[in-house]
Amino acid sequence: MDHHTPPSSPSEAVRAGITVALGLYLVGLGLCVAGNSTSGGSALVRTVKAKLFSPWMTPLWLDFGYDTRLTHGLAEDGDHRFEIRRLDAPASSEPVVLPGPALRGERAARWRRLARATAVSERDPERESLVPTAVGQGVFMPWSTSDVSLRVLRHLPPDRRDVLDGLADVAGRDEQAYAGRVRLIDGEVQLITSTPREELAPLLEEPGP
Amino acid sequence: MKELARVSASPTLADSIGVTWTEFWFTPARPWPLALVRIFGGLLALALWGSYAWDLEAWFGPFGMISPGLLAAWRSPYAGSLFDFTTSSAGLLIAYGLGGFVLLAMTIGLATPVTTVLGAIMFASLLHRGPMLVGPADDVVAVILWCLAIGRSGDALSFDRLIGAWLGRPTPRPSVRTGIALGLLRVHAAVIAGAAALAQLKGDVWWNGTAAWWLAARAESPLVDLTGVFLRSEYLVNLVTHAIVLFETAFAVGLWIPSLRRPLALAGLVVWPLIGLVGGEPMWGLALAVLAVGCLPAERGQATVDRL
Repeated sequence: MDHHTPPSSPSEAVRAGITVALGLYLVGLGLCVAGNSTSGGSALVRTVKAKLFSPWMTPLWLDFGYDTRLTHGLAEDGDHRFEIRRLDAPASSEPVVLPGPALRGERAARWRRLARATAVSERDPERESLVPTAVGQGVFMPWSTSDVSLRVLRHLPPDRRDVLDGLADVAGRDEQAYAGRVRLIDGEVQLITSTPREELAPLLEEPGP
Repeated sequence: MKELARVSASPTLADSIGVTWTEFWFTPARPWPLALVRIFGGLLALALWGSYAWDLEAWFGPFGMISPGLLAAWRSPYAGSLFDFTTSSAGLLIAYGLGGFVLLAMTIGLATPVTTVLGAIMFASLLHRGPMLVGPADDVVAVILWCLAIGRSGDALSFDRLIGAWLGRPTPRPSVRTGIALGLLRVHAAVIAGAAALAQLKGDVWWNGTAAWWLAARAESPLVDLTGVFLRSEYLVNLVTHAIVLFETAFAVGLWIPSLRRPLALAGLVVWPLIGLVGGEPMWGLALAVLAVGCLPAERGQATVDRL
Protein backbone atom coordinates (compact mmCIF):
# COMPACT_ATOMS: atom_id res chain seq x y z
CA MET A 1 0.00 0.00 0.00
CA ASP A 2 1.36 3.40 -1.00
CA HIS A 3 1.01 6.11 1.64
CA HIS A 4 2.38 8.79 -0.66
CA THR A 5 0.21 11.51 -2.11
CA PRO A 6 0.67 11.95 -5.89
CA PRO A 7 3.82 13.92 -6.71
CA SER A 8 3.41 17.41 -8.05
CA SER A 9 5.29 18.66 -11.09
CA PRO A 10 6.76 22.14 -11.44
CA SER A 11 5.14 24.56 -13.87
CA GLU A 12 6.51 25.07 -17.38
CA ALA A 13 8.11 28.38 -16.37
CA VAL A 14 9.87 26.80 -13.40
CA ARG A 15 11.04 23.91 -15.57
CA ALA A 16 12.43 26.33 -18.13
CA GLY A 17 14.31 28.20 -15.40
CA ILE A 18 15.72 24.99 -13.95
CA THR A 19 16.68 23.78 -17.44
CA VAL A 20 18.66 26.96 -18.08
CA ALA A 21 20.38 26.70 -14.68
CA LEU A 22 21.22 23.01 -15.21
CA GLY A 23 22.46 23.66 -18.75
CA LEU A 24 24.70 26.46 -17.52
CA TYR A 25 26.06 24.35 -14.71
CA LEU A 26 26.76 21.35 -16.98
CA VAL A 27 28.63 23.58 -19.44
CA GLY A 28 30.59 24.99 -16.49
CA LEU A 29 31.35 21.49 -15.23
CA GLY A 30 32.62 20.47 -18.67
CA LEU A 31 34.81 23.57 -18.91
CA CYS A 32 36.18 22.99 -15.40
CA VAL A 33 37.17 19.43 -16.30
CA ALA A 34 38.71 20.58 -19.59
CA GLY A 35 40.33 23.70 -18.13
CA ASN A 36 41.78 22.27 -14.92
CA SER A 37 43.55 19.30 -16.48
CA THR A 38 47.20 18.81 -15.61
CA SER A 39 47.83 18.90 -19.37
CA GLY A 40 46.69 22.53 -19.34
CA GLY A 41 43.58 23.94 -20.96
CA SER A 42 43.37 25.81 -24.23
CA ALA A 43 43.34 29.61 -24.16
CA LEU A 44 39.71 29.59 -25.33
CA VAL A 45 38.54 27.21 -22.60
CA ARG A 46 40.54 29.02 -19.93
CA THR A 47 39.19 32.42 -20.95
CA VAL A 48 35.54 31.38 -21.20
CA LYS A 49 35.76 29.53 -17.89
CA ALA A 50 37.57 32.36 -16.13
CA LYS A 51 35.15 35.04 -17.37
CA LEU A 52 31.82 33.25 -17.10
CA PHE A 53 32.08 30.32 -14.71
CA SER A 54 34.93 30.73 -12.23
CA PRO A 55 33.33 33.77 -10.52
CA TRP A 56 30.50 31.60 -9.20
CA MET A 57 31.96 28.08 -9.29
CA THR A 58 35.16 28.90 -7.40
CA PRO A 59 33.46 30.15 -4.19
CA LEU A 60 31.40 26.91 -4.12
CA TRP A 61 34.58 24.81 -4.44
CA LEU A 62 33.36 23.40 -7.74
CA ASP A 63 36.01 24.78 -10.11
CA PHE A 64 38.00 21.54 -10.38
CA GLY A 65 39.08 19.02 -12.98
CA TYR A 66 38.69 15.96 -10.69
CA ASP A 67 41.72 14.49 -12.49
CA THR A 68 42.86 12.20 -9.70
CA ARG A 69 45.74 10.38 -11.32
CA LEU A 70 46.82 8.58 -8.11
CA THR A 71 50.31 8.18 -9.56
CA HIS A 72 52.29 8.60 -12.74
CA GLY A 73 55.34 6.99 -11.15
CA LEU A 74 57.07 10.40 -10.98
CA ALA A 75 59.17 11.71 -8.11
CA GLU A 76 56.53 14.31 -7.23
CA ASP A 77 53.98 11.50 -6.75
CA GLY A 78 55.99 10.20 -3.80
CA ASP A 79 55.17 10.93 -0.17
CA HIS A 80 56.56 14.27 1.03
CA ARG A 81 57.35 15.33 4.58
CA PHE A 82 58.83 18.27 6.45
CA GLU A 83 61.96 18.17 8.54
CA ILE A 84 62.16 21.34 10.62
CA ARG A 85 65.04 22.13 12.97
CA ARG A 86 65.56 25.01 15.38
CA LEU A 87 68.84 26.65 14.56
CA ASP A 88 69.11 28.48 17.88
CA ALA A 89 68.90 25.18 19.80
CA PRO A 90 71.79 22.84 20.69
CA ALA A 91 73.17 21.11 17.62
CA SER A 92 72.24 17.73 19.07
CA SER A 93 68.51 18.50 19.06
CA GLU A 94 66.47 16.27 16.78
CA PRO A 95 64.53 17.86 13.91
CA VAL A 96 60.74 17.74 14.03
CA VAL A 97 59.28 15.58 11.27
CA LEU A 98 55.82 16.40 9.94
CA PRO A 99 53.92 14.19 9.56
CA GLY A 100 55.63 12.11 12.21
CA PRO A 101 55.94 8.36 11.73
CA ALA A 102 53.05 7.67 14.11
CA LEU A 103 50.64 9.92 12.24
CA ARG A 104 48.34 8.13 9.78
CA GLY A 105 45.18 8.82 7.86
CA GLU A 106 43.82 12.06 6.50
CA ARG A 107 45.59 14.25 9.08
CA ALA A 108 48.97 12.94 7.92
CA ALA A 109 47.86 13.26 4.29
CA ARG A 110 47.19 16.99 4.79
CA TRP A 111 50.72 17.54 6.14
CA ARG A 112 52.11 15.60 3.16
CA ARG A 113 50.13 17.83 0.78
CA LEU A 114 51.49 20.96 2.46
CA ALA A 115 55.03 19.57 2.19
CA ARG A 116 54.46 18.72 -1.47
CA ALA A 117 53.03 22.19 -2.13
CA THR A 118 56.18 23.64 -0.58
CA ALA A 119 58.43 21.72 -2.95
CA VAL A 120 56.31 22.01 -6.09
CA SER A 121 55.48 25.71 -5.70
CA GLU A 122 59.20 26.54 -5.77
CA ARG A 123 59.10 25.81 -9.50
CA ASP A 124 56.26 28.30 -9.99
CA PRO A 125 57.64 31.86 -10.35
CA GLU A 126 54.37 33.36 -9.06
CA ARG A 127 54.33 31.25 -5.90
CA GLU A 128 58.04 30.79 -5.29
CA SER A 129 59.12 31.13 -1.63
CA LEU A 130 55.57 31.79 -0.38
CA VAL A 131 54.91 28.46 1.33
CA PRO A 132 58.34 27.82 2.87
CA THR A 133 58.33 31.32 4.34
CA ALA A 134 54.84 30.84 5.75
CA VAL A 135 55.63 27.40 7.17
CA GLY A 136 58.85 28.60 8.80
CA GLN A 137 57.12 31.66 10.18
CA GLY A 138 54.34 29.43 11.48
CA VAL A 139 56.66 27.66 13.91
CA PHE A 140 58.33 30.81 15.30
CA MET A 141 55.65 31.50 17.92
CA PRO A 142 54.89 27.95 19.19
CA TRP A 143 58.58 27.02 19.33
CA SER A 144 59.70 30.40 20.73
CA THR A 145 62.37 30.70 18.09
CA SER A 146 63.23 33.02 15.23
CA ASP A 147 65.56 30.88 13.18
CA VAL A 148 64.70 27.50 11.66
CA SER A 149 65.93 25.29 8.86
CA LEU A 150 63.26 23.73 6.72
CA ARG A 151 63.66 20.68 4.53
CA VAL A 152 61.13 18.83 2.42
CA LEU A 153 62.06 15.22 1.87
CA ARG A 154 60.32 13.07 -0.66
CA HIS A 155 60.26 9.34 -0.70
CA LEU A 156 61.25 7.67 -3.96
CA PRO A 157 59.78 4.20 -4.23
CA PRO A 158 62.13 1.62 -5.79
CA ASP A 159 61.58 0.05 -9.18
CA ARG A 160 60.08 -3.42 -8.73
CA ARG A 161 62.69 -5.03 -10.96
CA ASP A 162 65.52 -3.40 -8.99
CA VAL A 163 64.12 -4.89 -5.79
CA LEU A 164 63.88 -8.34 -7.39
CA ASP A 165 67.44 -8.03 -8.73
CA GLY A 166 68.72 -6.96 -5.32
CA LEU A 167 69.74 -3.52 -6.61
CA ALA A 168 67.36 -1.58 -4.36
CA ASP A 169 65.66 -1.98 -1.04
CA VAL A 170 61.89 -2.31 -1.02
CA ALA A 171 61.78 0.58 1.48
CA GLY A 172 63.03 2.98 -1.22
CA ARG A 173 65.03 6.09 -0.43
CA ASP A 174 64.52 9.76 0.37
CA GLU A 175 65.66 12.75 -1.62
CA GLN A 176 65.71 16.38 -0.66
CA ALA A 177 63.01 18.25 -2.59
CA TYR A 178 63.52 21.59 -0.89
CA ALA A 179 65.83 23.11 1.71
CA GLY A 180 65.87 26.58 3.16
CA ARG A 181 66.36 28.67 6.25
CA VAL A 182 63.72 31.01 7.63
CA ARG A 183 64.72 33.61 10.19
CA LEU A 184 63.45 36.78 11.75
CA ILE A 185 65.87 39.69 11.56
CA ASP A 186 64.79 43.09 12.90
CA GLY A 187 61.12 42.13 12.57
CA GLU A 188 61.55 41.06 8.97
CA VAL A 189 61.21 37.45 7.84
CA GLN A 190 64.03 36.27 5.60
CA LEU A 191 64.06 33.11 3.51
CA ILE A 192 67.38 31.73 2.35
CA THR A 193 66.80 28.90 -0.09
CA SER A 194 69.59 26.36 -0.55
CA THR A 195 70.26 25.54 -4.17
CA PRO A 196 70.09 21.80 -4.80
CA ARG A 197 73.49 20.38 -5.68
CA GLU A 198 72.34 19.23 -9.14
CA GLU A 199 71.36 22.80 -10.07
CA LEU A 200 74.80 24.26 -9.37
CA ALA A 201 76.89 25.03 -12.44
CA PRO A 202 80.15 23.08 -12.56
CA LEU A 203 83.20 25.08 -11.55
CA LEU A 204 85.42 25.47 -14.59
CA GLU A 205 89.10 26.18 -14.29
CA GLU A 206 90.27 29.17 -16.27
CA PRO A 207 92.47 27.99 -19.09
CA GLY A 208 96.11 28.89 -18.63
CA PRO A 209 98.09 31.12 -20.97
CA MET B 1 -0.43 12.52 -21.54
CA LYS B 2 -1.84 13.81 -24.79
CA GLU B 3 1.37 15.73 -25.40
CA LEU B 4 3.51 12.68 -24.76
CA ALA B 5 1.37 10.63 -27.17
CA ARG B 6 1.78 13.23 -29.87
CA VAL B 7 5.52 13.33 -29.39
CA SER B 8 5.83 9.57 -29.66
CA ALA B 9 3.69 9.57 -32.84
CA SER B 10 6.11 11.78 -34.77
CA PRO B 11 9.32 11.98 -32.82
CA THR B 12 12.01 14.32 -34.05
CA LEU B 13 15.51 14.46 -32.62
CA ALA B 14 14.66 17.65 -30.72
CA ASP B 15 11.53 16.02 -29.28
CA SER B 16 13.49 12.95 -28.20
CA ILE B 17 16.13 15.08 -26.51
CA GLY B 18 13.42 17.12 -24.80
CA VAL B 19 11.60 14.05 -23.53
CA THR B 20 14.82 12.41 -22.33
CA TRP B 21 15.91 15.64 -20.61
CA THR B 22 12.53 16.05 -18.92
CA GLU B 23 12.39 12.43 -17.81
CA PHE B 24 15.92 12.56 -16.44
CA TRP B 25 15.71 15.83 -14.56
CA PHE B 26 12.02 16.30 -13.77
CA THR B 27 10.80 12.86 -12.74
CA PRO B 28 9.94 13.05 -9.03
CA ALA B 29 12.19 10.68 -7.10
CA ARG B 30 11.79 8.81 -3.84
CA PRO B 31 14.06 10.17 -1.15
CA TRP B 32 15.82 7.09 0.22
CA PRO B 33 18.95 7.06 -1.99
CA LEU B 34 19.52 10.74 -1.25
CA ALA B 35 18.88 10.09 2.46
CA LEU B 36 21.57 7.39 2.41
CA VAL B 37 23.92 9.79 0.61
CA ARG B 38 23.18 12.33 3.35
CA ILE B 39 24.04 9.84 6.11
CA PHE B 40 27.19 8.35 4.57
CA GLY B 41 28.30 11.60 2.92
CA GLY B 42 27.72 13.39 6.22
CA LEU B 43 29.84 10.85 8.11
CA LEU B 44 32.60 11.26 5.54
CA ALA B 45 32.37 15.05 5.70
CA LEU B 46 32.61 14.84 9.50
CA ALA B 47 35.71 12.64 9.24
CA LEU B 48 37.37 15.07 6.81
CA TRP B 49 36.31 18.01 8.97
CA GLY B 50 37.71 16.25 12.03
CA SER B 51 41.08 15.68 10.35
CA TYR B 52 41.77 19.42 10.78
CA ALA B 53 41.04 19.44 14.51
CA TRP B 54 44.52 18.76 15.96
CA ASP B 55 46.36 21.18 13.67
CA LEU B 56 43.73 23.90 13.39
CA GLU B 57 45.78 26.42 15.36
CA ALA B 58 49.06 25.47 13.63
CA TRP B 59 47.53 26.02 10.18
CA PHE B 60 44.85 28.67 10.57
CA GLY B 61 45.54 30.30 13.94
CA PRO B 62 46.57 33.96 14.25
CA PHE B 63 50.23 32.89 13.98
CA GLY B 64 49.51 29.83 11.83
CA MET B 65 51.38 28.63 8.78
CA ILE B 66 48.65 29.45 6.27
CA SER B 67 48.57 33.15 6.88
CA PRO B 68 46.23 35.66 5.21
CA GLY B 69 49.24 36.92 3.23
CA LEU B 70 49.94 33.46 1.82
CA LEU B 71 46.26 32.98 0.99
CA ALA B 72 46.04 36.31 -0.81
CA ALA B 73 48.87 35.28 -3.10
CA TRP B 74 47.75 31.67 -3.52
CA ARG B 75 43.97 31.77 -3.93
CA SER B 76 41.83 32.77 -6.87
CA PRO B 77 40.43 36.30 -6.51
CA TYR B 78 36.95 34.75 -6.44
CA ALA B 79 37.75 32.50 -3.49
CA GLY B 80 36.66 33.36 0.01
CA SER B 81 36.08 31.69 3.33
CA LEU B 82 34.03 32.38 6.41
CA PHE B 83 37.18 31.41 8.31
CA ASP B 84 38.91 34.49 6.88
CA PHE B 85 36.96 36.49 9.45
CA THR B 86 38.22 34.48 12.42
CA THR B 87 41.18 36.54 13.53
CA SER B 88 41.52 35.05 17.02
CA SER B 89 42.03 31.48 18.26
CA ALA B 90 38.69 31.58 20.06
CA GLY B 91 36.87 32.75 16.95
CA LEU B 92 38.52 30.03 14.91
CA LEU B 93 37.50 27.35 17.41
CA ILE B 94 33.93 28.61 17.57
CA ALA B 95 33.57 28.66 13.77
CA TYR B 96 35.13 25.22 13.51
CA GLY B 97 32.91 23.79 16.25
CA LEU B 98 29.83 25.37 14.69
CA GLY B 99 30.66 23.83 11.31
CA GLY B 100 31.11 20.42 12.91
CA PHE B 101 27.76 20.76 14.68
CA VAL B 102 26.01 21.73 11.42
CA LEU B 103 27.49 18.72 9.62
CA LEU B 104 26.43 16.45 12.48
CA ALA B 105 22.88 17.83 12.41
CA MET B 106 22.79 17.35 8.64
CA THR B 107 24.01 13.76 8.96
CA ILE B 108 21.27 12.78 11.40
CA GLY B 109 18.71 14.69 9.36
CA LEU B 110 17.90 17.51 11.75
CA ALA B 111 16.54 20.69 10.14
CA THR B 112 17.89 19.33 6.86
CA PRO B 113 16.67 22.15 4.57
CA VAL B 114 18.89 24.51 6.58
CA THR B 115 21.74 22.27 7.70
CA THR B 116 22.44 20.86 4.22
CA VAL B 117 22.93 24.35 2.80
CA LEU B 118 24.94 25.56 5.80
CA GLY B 119 26.99 22.34 5.79
CA ALA B 120 27.98 22.86 2.14
CA ILE B 121 28.90 26.51 2.80
CA MET B 122 30.95 25.68 5.91
CA PHE B 123 32.75 22.81 4.19
CA ALA B 124 33.68 24.92 1.14
CA SER B 125 34.81 27.66 3.55
CA LEU B 126 37.17 25.33 5.39
CA LEU B 127 38.68 24.11 2.12
CA HIS B 128 39.18 27.68 0.90
CA ARG B 129 40.98 28.53 4.17
CA GLY B 130 43.78 26.10 3.31
CA PRO B 131 43.68 25.11 -0.37
CA MET B 132 47.13 23.48 -0.24
CA LEU B 133 45.86 20.98 2.35
CA VAL B 134 42.95 19.78 0.26
CA GLY B 135 42.86 16.32 -1.28
CA PRO B 136 40.70 14.62 -3.90
CA ALA B 137 38.23 13.33 -1.28
CA ASP B 138 37.48 16.91 -0.20
CA ASP B 139 36.63 17.89 -3.78
CA VAL B 140 34.18 14.98 -4.13
CA VAL B 141 32.56 15.56 -0.73
CA ALA B 142 32.06 19.26 -1.58
CA VAL B 143 30.08 18.17 -4.66
CA ILE B 144 28.04 15.71 -2.61
CA LEU B 145 27.17 18.39 -0.05
CA TRP B 146 25.96 20.82 -2.73
CA CYS B 147 23.77 18.08 -4.22
CA LEU B 148 22.32 17.44 -0.76
CA ALA B 149 21.59 21.16 -0.45
CA ILE B 150 19.48 20.94 -3.62
CA GLY B 151 17.46 17.80 -2.83
CA ARG B 152 15.08 16.88 -0.02
CA SER B 153 17.32 14.39 1.73
CA GLY B 154 15.53 14.85 5.05
CA ASP B 155 12.35 13.23 3.71
CA ALA B 156 13.54 9.78 4.80
CA LEU B 157 15.77 8.22 7.46
CA SER B 158 15.99 11.48 9.37
CA PHE B 159 15.07 13.15 12.63
CA ASP B 160 12.96 15.53 10.58
CA ARG B 161 10.90 12.58 9.36
CA LEU B 162 10.56 11.16 12.87
CA ILE B 163 9.35 14.52 14.15
CA GLY B 164 7.00 14.81 11.15
CA ALA B 165 5.52 11.36 11.85
CA TRP B 166 5.12 12.23 15.54
CA LEU B 167 3.24 15.40 14.55
CA GLY B 168 1.05 13.34 12.22
CA ARG B 169 2.34 14.84 8.96
CA PRO B 170 1.86 12.63 5.85
CA THR B 171 4.78 10.77 4.32
CA PRO B 172 6.57 13.17 1.96
CA ARG B 173 5.83 12.44 -1.66
CA PRO B 174 8.49 11.83 -4.30
CA SER B 175 10.05 15.13 -5.20
CA VAL B 176 11.45 16.75 -8.33
CA ARG B 177 14.12 18.46 -6.23
CA THR B 178 15.30 15.07 -5.01
CA GLY B 179 15.29 13.82 -8.62
CA ILE B 180 17.47 16.74 -9.69
CA ALA B 181 19.89 16.13 -6.81
CA LEU B 182 20.15 12.43 -7.68
CA GLY B 183 20.62 13.32 -11.35
CA LEU B 184 23.46 15.68 -10.46
CA LEU B 185 25.06 13.01 -8.27
CA ARG B 186 24.96 10.58 -11.21
CA VAL B 187 26.43 13.16 -13.60
CA HIS B 188 29.25 13.89 -11.15
CA ALA B 189 29.90 10.22 -10.44
CA ALA B 190 30.38 9.63 -14.16
CA VAL B 191 32.46 12.78 -14.69
CA ILE B 192 34.74 12.16 -11.70
CA ALA B 193 35.31 8.50 -12.61
CA GLY B 194 35.91 9.40 -16.26
CA ALA B 195 38.25 12.28 -15.41
CA ALA B 196 40.28 10.03 -13.11
CA ALA B 197 40.60 7.37 -15.82
CA LEU B 198 41.65 9.97 -18.40
CA ALA B 199 44.18 11.54 -16.01
CA GLN B 200 45.68 8.15 -15.24
CA LEU B 201 45.96 7.18 -18.89
CA LYS B 202 48.23 10.18 -19.51
CA GLY B 203 50.94 8.36 -17.55
CA ASP B 204 53.01 5.50 -18.93
CA VAL B 205 52.69 3.47 -15.73
CA TRP B 206 48.97 2.95 -16.32
CA TRP B 207 49.72 1.57 -19.79
CA ASN B 208 52.71 -0.61 -18.92
CA GLY B 209 50.82 -2.01 -15.95
CA THR B 210 53.17 -0.94 -13.16
CA ALA B 211 51.04 1.82 -11.55
CA ALA B 212 49.79 -0.49 -8.78
CA TRP B 213 53.41 -1.13 -7.77
CA TRP B 214 54.27 2.59 -7.63
CA LEU B 215 51.20 3.14 -5.47
CA ALA B 216 51.97 0.27 -3.11
CA ALA B 217 55.68 1.06 -2.79
CA ARG B 218 55.14 4.57 -1.43
CA ALA B 219 56.42 5.03 2.10
CA GLU B 220 53.48 6.27 4.08
CA SER B 221 50.26 6.71 2.09
CA PRO B 222 49.24 3.06 1.72
CA LEU B 223 47.18 1.71 4.59
CA VAL B 224 47.93 -1.87 3.59
CA ASP B 225 51.34 -3.16 2.50
CA LEU B 226 50.91 -4.96 -0.81
CA THR B 227 54.55 -4.84 -1.87
CA GLY B 228 55.20 -8.44 -0.77
CA VAL B 229 52.32 -9.77 -2.86
CA PHE B 230 53.23 -7.58 -5.82
CA LEU B 231 56.86 -8.70 -5.69
CA ARG B 232 55.73 -12.28 -6.17
CA SER B 233 53.74 -11.72 -9.37
CA GLU B 234 54.18 -9.12 -12.09
CA TYR B 235 50.93 -10.27 -13.65
CA LEU B 236 49.08 -9.40 -10.46
CA VAL B 237 50.54 -5.86 -10.54
CA ASN B 238 49.44 -5.53 -14.17
CA LEU B 239 46.00 -6.97 -13.43
CA VAL B 240 45.32 -4.57 -10.54
CA THR B 241 46.56 -1.60 -12.60
CA HIS B 242 44.39 -2.39 -15.61
CA ALA B 243 41.40 -3.34 -13.46
CA ILE B 244 41.41 0.10 -11.81
CA VAL B 245 41.28 1.95 -15.14
CA LEU B 246 38.77 -0.53 -16.57
CA PHE B 247 36.42 -0.15 -13.62
CA GLU B 248 36.64 3.65 -13.68
CA THR B 249 35.83 3.70 -17.40
CA ALA B 250 33.02 1.15 -17.06
CA PHE B 251 31.55 3.12 -14.15
CA ALA B 252 31.62 6.41 -16.07
CA VAL B 253 29.93 4.89 -19.12
CA GLY B 254 27.78 2.16 -17.58
CA LEU B 255 25.81 4.51 -15.31
CA TRP B 256 23.98 5.65 -18.46
CA ILE B 257 23.03 2.13 -19.59
CA PRO B 258 19.84 1.17 -17.71
CA SER B 259 20.68 -2.54 -17.41
CA LEU B 260 24.19 -1.82 -16.07
CA ARG B 261 23.40 1.07 -13.74
CA ARG B 262 22.31 -0.92 -10.68
CA PRO B 263 25.03 -3.63 -10.83
CA LEU B 264 27.72 -0.98 -11.39
CA ALA B 265 26.43 1.19 -8.56
CA LEU B 266 26.38 -1.86 -6.26
CA ALA B 267 29.87 -2.88 -7.40
CA GLY B 268 31.02 0.70 -6.75
CA LEU B 269 30.15 0.33 -3.08
CA VAL B 270 32.91 -2.27 -2.78
CA VAL B 271 35.33 -1.48 -5.60
CA TRP B 272 35.75 2.26 -4.99
CA PRO B 273 36.91 1.81 -1.38
CA LEU B 274 39.29 -0.92 -2.57
CA ILE B 275 40.73 1.40 -5.24
CA GLY B 276 41.10 4.07 -2.57
CA LEU B 277 42.91 1.61 -0.33
CA VAL B 278 45.33 0.51 -3.06
CA GLY B 279 45.79 4.09 -4.27
CA GLY B 280 46.58 5.50 -0.81
CA GLU B 281 43.50 7.73 -0.98
CA PRO B 282 40.98 5.79 1.14
CA MET B 283 38.74 8.80 1.75
CA TRP B 284 38.52 9.46 -1.99
CA GLY B 285 37.47 5.83 -2.51
CA LEU B 286 34.81 6.16 0.17
CA ALA B 287 33.56 9.44 -1.32
CA LEU B 288 33.09 7.76 -4.68
CA ALA B 289 31.28 4.88 -2.96
CA VAL B 290 28.89 7.49 -1.52
CA LEU B 291 28.36 8.83 -5.05
CA ALA B 292 27.62 5.25 -6.11
CA VAL B 293 24.87 5.10 -3.46
CA GLY B 294 23.29 8.11 -5.15
CA CYS B 295 23.33 6.22 -8.45
CA LEU B 296 21.20 3.33 -7.16
CA PRO B 297 17.79 3.34 -8.87
CA ALA B 298 15.31 4.89 -6.42
CA GLU B 299 12.43 2.62 -7.53
CA ARG B 300 13.97 -0.40 -5.87
CA GLY B 301 14.69 -0.69 -2.19
CA GLN B 302 11.75 1.51 -1.13
CA ALA B 303 10.08 -1.37 0.71
CA THR B 304 13.17 -1.86 2.88
CA VAL B 305 13.31 1.83 3.72
CA ASP B 306 9.58 1.88 4.50
CA ARG B 307 10.15 -0.96 6.97
CA LEU B 308 12.89 1.10 8.62
